[in-house]
Amino acid sequence: MLTINNLVKHRGNQEILSGISFKARPGRVTGFLGPNGAGKSSTLRILLGLDRATSGSALINGKPFAELHNPLATVGAALDGFGAHRMRTGRAHLRWIARAAGLSRSRVEEVLEIVGLTNAAGKRVGNYSLGMGRRLGIAAALLGDPKILVLDEPVNGLDPEGIRWIRTFLRERAQSGNTVLLSSHLMGELAETVDDVVIIKHGKIVADGTLEEVTGNHHTLEDAFFALTSEHTGDVV
Amino acid sequence: MRAFNAELSKLFSLPGIWLAFLIGAFAPVFIASMDSIAQKEEIIAGVSTRLPEVGYIGLALGVQGVIILGVLAVSSEYLAESSESGGGQQITTSLTVVSSRLHFLLAKAGAVTVISILLSVVAIITTLSATHLVLGEYTPAFDWLKLIGAVLYWTFTALLAFGITVLTKNGIIPLAVLIINTSVVSFSFLLSKVTKLALYLPDRAGAEMFMFTSDRFLTPFTGGLVMFAWVVVLFIAAAIVFHRRDVAS
Repeated sequence: MLTINNLVKHRGNQEILSGISFKARPGRVTGFLGPNGAGKSSTLRILLGLDRATSGSALINGKPFAELHNPLATVGAALDGFGAHRMRTGRAHLRWIARAAGLSRSRVEEVLEIVGLTNAAGKRVGNYSLGMGRRLGIAAALLGDPKILVLDEPVNGLDPEGIRWIRTFLRERAQSGNTVLLSSHLMGELAETVDDVVIIKHGKIVADGTLEEVTGNHHTLEDAFFALTSEHTGDVV
Repeated sequence: MRAFNAELSKLFSLPGIWLAFLIGAFAPVFIASMDSIAQKEEIIAGVSTRLPEVGYIGLALGVQGVIILGVLAVSSEYLAESSESGGGQQITTSLTVVSSRLHFLLAKAGAVTVISILLSVVAIITTLSATHLVLGEYTPAFDWLKLIGAVLYWTFTALLAFGITVLTKNGIIPLAVLIINTSVVSFSFLLSKVTKLALYLPDRAGAEMFMFTSDRFLTPFTGGLVMFAWVVVLFIAAAIVFHRRDVAS
């Protein structure tokens, strides 16, 4: 369970998050939607202890990230980019992470297999395509077999096959009782993957509920999204 | 301990680190050999004024290897990926794997310390062997305390490079400043012409542990202590800044 409670973040004079609250529950895929710059990545960064909140809290199973004993076994995260040094091979990248979490080398081979990178594991990360890099990031998130996954724009840069793979994969994770939170600005992809939807705009939550609730009277999630996030919300609805 | 293992694994899988090993292991022996060859006649004739520096000169100048090590250990975390891949950095992965930032920093500093000690021991062995080879029976006796001083000098220098890079997040500035400082112009040497306080700067104070300087100011022990104090202060400053910093900023 992920609990974001009244989170505020200031950077300089700017208020990036103005008191947002939502939950991501076990057994469900929660989609965190919003235009670019709405505060999605900032929220995920605070949740993972990378940035500090000005006030409010972001808790993982009731604890802030910094208090997690073995973070990799609790929450797996893939944020922007590959999160890997470009001169290292994919396998070497996963191996140091495995060491940090006290996991075996065979687990590295397992996750490489799961994301379909076994054949490219010996290549330097700098030579990876965008899709391969995203798969490497997801492999790192899966190493500790965590009950919670946090993914920032996971389908970005994936080819159709990759998108399909991740969709099925995330659905399976949720069905076996895990919590999945993913951010995206790609509505069409998201509508087929998520159970719950949280929409953020200018650092404020404008919609929060199940996919059906948020879609409401609109034709599609995309229509609902634009109705909620366009500058003249009142006119569109 | 796991975090420490991970840091060792990170360093050894970074190609740039082999440059640090190469320079650390071979620069001292090269410099010391050249110096010994140049001085050989004077030493044999018993008129050399720089006898106490034989061999050690290589160890003083060859410290660049561990400077690269200290800088790279940190700058590799912040190296931005190509913009096409979303411009991520390894540091985000590192900090989602180890939840305590202080643990992370200590683990990294620990890995740098261990590798620096090993590298300096290798450098001492090769340097002493080469000096013996060149000077034969005229080789001055090496003092154990001074050799330990050289190990400490290397380790402290690596940790200073490490601390500065945590503050700058970028390897280029610390690398340029520290390498120039140890090889071309010593800023502390220049400053010492202006004020005696410059003799307390870390590189100069630390060099007292094993170099014979004509204007000795601190005893080897005090010199080492002064350099260690610099390391501690810089590490605390780096830890505070690192603890408060948003990784995204």
